[in-house]
Amino acid sequence: MEDGRPIFLQIAELLENSILDGTLAEEGQVPSTNELAAFHRINPATAAKGVNKLVDDGTLYKKRGIGMFVSPGARAKLRGRRRDEFARQYVRPLLTEARKLGIEPAELKNMIDTWEEGR
Amino acid sequence: MNRALTVARLQFVGWRSVVGWPWGILALSFLINLALFSAMNEADDFEPTTGGLMSIYVVMFVASINAITQDFPFAIGLGVSRRSFYLGNVLNYLGQAVSYAAVLYLLAVIEETTDGWGVNLRFFGIPFLLVDNPVLRFLSFAIPFLLLGFIGIAIALVFKRWGVNGLLMLSTVALAGIGGLVVLATWRGWWSAIGGWFADQPGWALLVGWPALLTLLLAGLSYLTIRRATP
Amino acid sequence: MSAVVTVTDLTKRYQGVTALDGVSFSLAEHRIHGLLGRNGAGKTTLMQILTAQNFATSGEVSVFGQHPYENEQVLSRISFIKESQTYPSHLRVAHVLRAARLVHPGWDEALAQRLVDVFQLPRGRNVRKLSRGMLSALGIVVGLASRAPLTFFDEPYLGLDAVSRQLFYDHLLADYTEHPRTIVLSTHLIDEVSDLIEHILLIDRGRLLLDVEAEALRGQVVTVSGPVAAVDEFARTGTELHRASLGGTARATVRGDFGPAAPDRARSLGLDLEASSLQDIVVRLTTSNNGHAAGGAAAADKEAVR
Repeated sequence: MEDGRPIFLQIAELLENSILDGTLAEEGQVPSTNELAAFHRINPATAAKGVNKLVDDGTLYKKRGIGMFVSPGARAKLRGRRRDEFARQYVRPLLTEARKLGIEPAELKNMIDTWEEGR
Repeated sequence: MNRALTVARLQFVGWRSVVGWPWGILALSFLINLALFSAMNEADDFEPTTGGLMSIYVVMFVASINAITQDFPFAIGLGVSRRSFYLGNVLNYLGQAVSYAAVLYLLAVIEETTDGWGVNLRFFGIPFLLVDNPVLRFLSFAIPFLLLGFIGIAIALVFKRWGVNGLLMLSTVALAGIGGLVVLATWRGWWSAIGGWFADQPGWALLVGWPALLTLLLAGLSYLTIRRATP
Repeated sequence: MSAVVTVTDLTKRYQGVTALDGVSFSLAEHRIHGLLGRNGAGKTTLMQILTAQNFATSGEVSVFGQHPYENEQVLSRISFIKESQTYPSHLRVAHVLRAARLVHPGWDEALAQRLVDVFQLPRGRNVRKLSRGMLSALGIVVGLASRAPLTFFDEPYLGLDAVSRQLFYDHLLADYTEHPRTIVLSTHLIDEVSDLIEHILLIDRGRLLLDVEAEALRGQVVTVSGPVAAVDEFARTGTELHRASLGGTARATVRGDFGPAAPDRARSLGLDLEASSLQDIVVRLTTSNNGHAAGGAAAADKEAVR
């Protein structure tokens, strides 16, 4: 696990990523906390905390005696939330750095278009 | 009490060495003497005693020191209380002393009936230990085990709790004490009285009674010492 | 969650040396606790007192609700694996395991045998002829297979290579997951265990510096670097643990409840922000004198001169 950030947040994020890219389908079963703990070599209680965070916000739901499953509609909801975060996490620092170098927003848009075409 | 039995068993997990050393060395000493006596068996009317029997007592004395220096840190490290360790250790040592004494007694009887293994060897029977009462004779084999064992335990515990300085202090006090008594006895002319006291003591008291009393005293002191010892 | 261990104002003095100085804490049941600190900080002494192998000078100790001294009921539920453990010199590996099996009521023989294979321990070899690493592995096997409700591992990895240490962590985690119990892991290889431990006790020179949840500590300590004025501005919101400066730029390690907004704030101040690993945090806290107090002028000056 990466340093400096609570591990349970990282676990929650990893599960979210799997839901976003379709590795974990909606209504599909999520690995157990023990499996997560063994795989990531982390404390099971921490893994459980990460899973519970997703249960609390409705991304996952519990089937008693069976395990955790991805809620229907979880993917769309996550995508919406991640889009909001995207602006904060990526666009803002991009603009800050651009300003430092004297790159105007129009020029920045041009750069983005050029890169997108050249891909 | 269950835990004490556990300790006794724990000290026996490597039983081959525990039993092997004392009897191995005794057997070696016996065989050497046997060979020696077969080679010079013309001395028919002379019955020397070899002192080879001492070897098993020496090994057991060393074993009792090892019990404190090696078994104690191991057992405490595994999570046994000092009381259980001590009781288990005493139980173990007591068991060995009694069974070893029984075997030695048996060997002494065989030695007598075979005229010293056919070569006039007096190895297990010690002349001044010729006691008629079988119980006393058995005890005269067993008690020295116990006395030496508890002397070993006591010395090792002094070392365990107070280190080299503790041992030096103990030796100094013992030396000064005995020396002082000798000087006092000489100065006041008590020697004949002391000699008389020993002469008046019955054989069983000198061989069994007084050593047993000393053993009990050491056992009590050792228990008090081990209760505050650290492994 | 109930406390398995409760320590109140524990002090231990050897001739003239204070090994533990008024330490108080408690350990919750069924968790992995990290007991961290430098060599000689008092970790081993603390565990020796908790297992009744040593005696406190003053203070209260309670294990499973009772005092552990001469308490068979408590002691039989503890396993204490220490680096300095000695064995009777005539014993072989198999003998040591048999002895441990006699003493620990929860002993799992199958697990012990499996671990002996995992660590490639020679069953018939005399303990005196084991390498340092093999002795450590033997301790680990005893500690795990004892399945004691309270298990202490005191630097159990001396002489073990990285692969064997990882084996230890993996088996510890696997067995702990299947059989939850209270584990105290004393170590200074903090990076290796930082993801395993749930609760942290940090001891320095006999005093308790930290008694926190590992997850709470993560992200609490950050290092920012950039223009001195901006660093000053950021550092104001926390406790500065360390600072180095070069010309007009400075780098400061700061502890505080920053929350997820910290990176944004640093960025808007024009600072680079780096979160500290657990190991960094411990190093910072135990090398600076202001680990527990605010203000860091002395340490900052020292660094600035270099």
